[in-house]
Amino acid sequence: MTRRTLVFAALLAALLVATLASLALGAVKVPVSEVVNVIFGNGHGGPDQKIVESLRLPRTVEALIVGAALGIAGAVLQGALGNPLASPDVIGVTGGAGFGAILIIVLFPGSIALLPLSALLFGLLAAALVFAFAWSGRNRGSATKVVLAGIAMLSLFTAATTGLLAAYPDKAPSAIFFIAGGLTTSGWEDLETVWPYFAAGLIVAAFLIRPLDRLSLGDDVAASLGSRPQAIRLGAGIAAALLTAAAASIAGLLGFLGLVVPHVVRMAGGTSSHAYVVPASAVGGAALLAAADTLARTLRAPVEMPVGPFMVVLGVPLFLWLLRKAV
Amino acid sequence: MAGRQEPPLLEAEGVAVEIGGAQILREAELTVERGELLAIVGPNGAGKSTLVRAVAGVGPLSGGSVRWSGRSLGGIRGRELARVRAFVPQRMPLPAGVDVREAVTIGRSAQLRPLGRLTGADRAAVDGAIERAGVERFAERALTTLSGGELQRVQIAIGLAQEAPVLIADEPTSQLDLGATIGVAGLLRSLAADGLTVIVVVHDLALASAVADRVVVVAGGRTVAAGAPAQVLTPQRLAEVWGAEAHLSEHNGRTALHVAWLPGTSAPPVEADVRAP
Repeated sequence: MTRRTLVFAALLAALLVATLASLALGAVKVPVSEVVNVIFGNGHGGPDQKIVESLRLPRTVEALIVGAALGIAGAVLQGALGNPLASPDVIGVTGGAGFGAILIIVLFPGSIALLPLSALLFGLLAAALVFAFAWSGRNRGSATKVVLAGIAMLSLFTAATTGLLAAYPDKAPSAIFFIAGGLTTSGWEDLETVWPYFAAGLIVAAFLIRPLDRLSLGDDVAASLGSRPQAIRLGAGIAAALLTAAAASIAGLLGFLGLVVPHVVRMAGGTSSHAYVVPASAVGGAALLAAADTLARTLRAPVEMPVGPFMVVLGVPLFLWLLRKAV
Repeated sequence: MAGRQEPPLLEAEGVAVEIGGAQILREAELTVERGELLAIVGPNGAGKSTLVRAVAGVGPLSGGSVRWSGRSLGGIRGRELARVRAFVPQRMPLPAGVDVREAVTIGRSAQLRPLGRLTGADRAAVDGAIERAGVERFAERALTTLSGGELQRVQIAIGLAQEAPVLIADEPTSQLDLGATIGVAGLLRSLAADGLTVIVVVHDLALASAVADRVVVVAGGRTVAAGAPAQVLTPQRLAEVWGAEAHLSEHNGRTALHVAWLPGTSAPPVEADVRAP
């Protein structure tokens, strides 16, 4: 078995463990055997089944989808921009989504149901502005231009968000949960609104796997092989924008996951081939977020803490350990 | 010339390229026939690489006409373009952990449908390209562990996996030592002997005159001469284009460039001038 196959198998095992833990653990502990029974439709009824079915399952599924989406978004962006610092943050999406969410929290608290939509729309708007600037003038569509336009847009929206919070300091506490990133039990309803964006982003990403491998050999080789480097970068940006905006709209700002997870799977698997990195980032991202969310719910149960910091606490040591060994 | 009705493999006329307001090429011409090895030579900044990039559809083209087997370059896209010509850049980036076979397989991916899988024929083409380029000895090694000469062969193998009738190599030997240069030159010559058309940008005039069927001289954004090496690379042209007091000599397929590196060296004996084969 090759190293990448082993790592992928290990990631799948981690995903399984994290999923079962997420379903079993919480304020009330449900035995794993009962969790498995409920999943396969053989639950024994009672409160355990209800907890798993209506509280933990939607939340776990949401964690898995959001984690996978951010992992994929980071993987395609790092591949397309050829920049190790690329993450969903650098195309402005998280900045825009944060502003869209805080706008609702601060100015329209009565319409809090609109938060996911607002975050989604402002996230996509920020990405659209980044691409509009990066694809104009000389050297259009170059990786450097995308990254610089993205950082500028991120700063702009972050400043606007900070301005809003400074103007309405009393609303800041309710904004923290979104900014730090957090999942809720309203998983099914959230997903009902945003699943088409996840699906569209996923489909575009799947079609990008091979073009991204071509691009990894340079713009010239990609062009020799009949691909258009700028079109690949634009496609990757669109996929990442859709996935990240959808993720941010239901789980807040977790862009860090998209930065770290692809690096971790690349370093662990010893290859940057996208046929491995993209699916492995999806599995790794899902496992990491499900595990972090389980911690966030259980450490001080029944108090729920934002998942973002826990994800960082789990992910950063692994990242630094691998980085130390990387060439 | 026979076969008048069959258009040349590549015919480029009046090629103009403007990059960022600077006119790099104007009125460049290039005609390539099947199975020949064509060397493109010229001073630094003359527009050699810009010309091959433009005709290959890899770099910008601002004016003029480029036809591949009679078809306009602008009308050829995607996988079809990959089957028309392969472009081998001077040096490609090296993604971490990707080995030679994977890289050559990426070269083959140009022939696949967007989500299509490799067929047995595709794998055979990858194996064939690896063998033909002489890289099977290190086919399972990571790109990042290879020497410059080995990498250049891998790049050629990636181009061969496209199975296009034309291979365009942009300065394939400019960063190689003597031995590796000989190896790559020999590989390109043998590919041409097998029927592949090869266009190569080179700086080394002795090398160009030894391996090329024809040379094209690019200077000041124009193609100023084309023909057999002996006819084109005359002492007068070396003086005009490169500002060098120099001449080429050829003996039994061995070539040398005799250069007056410093002022005051005596003139060469006339019989040493390059001779037509």
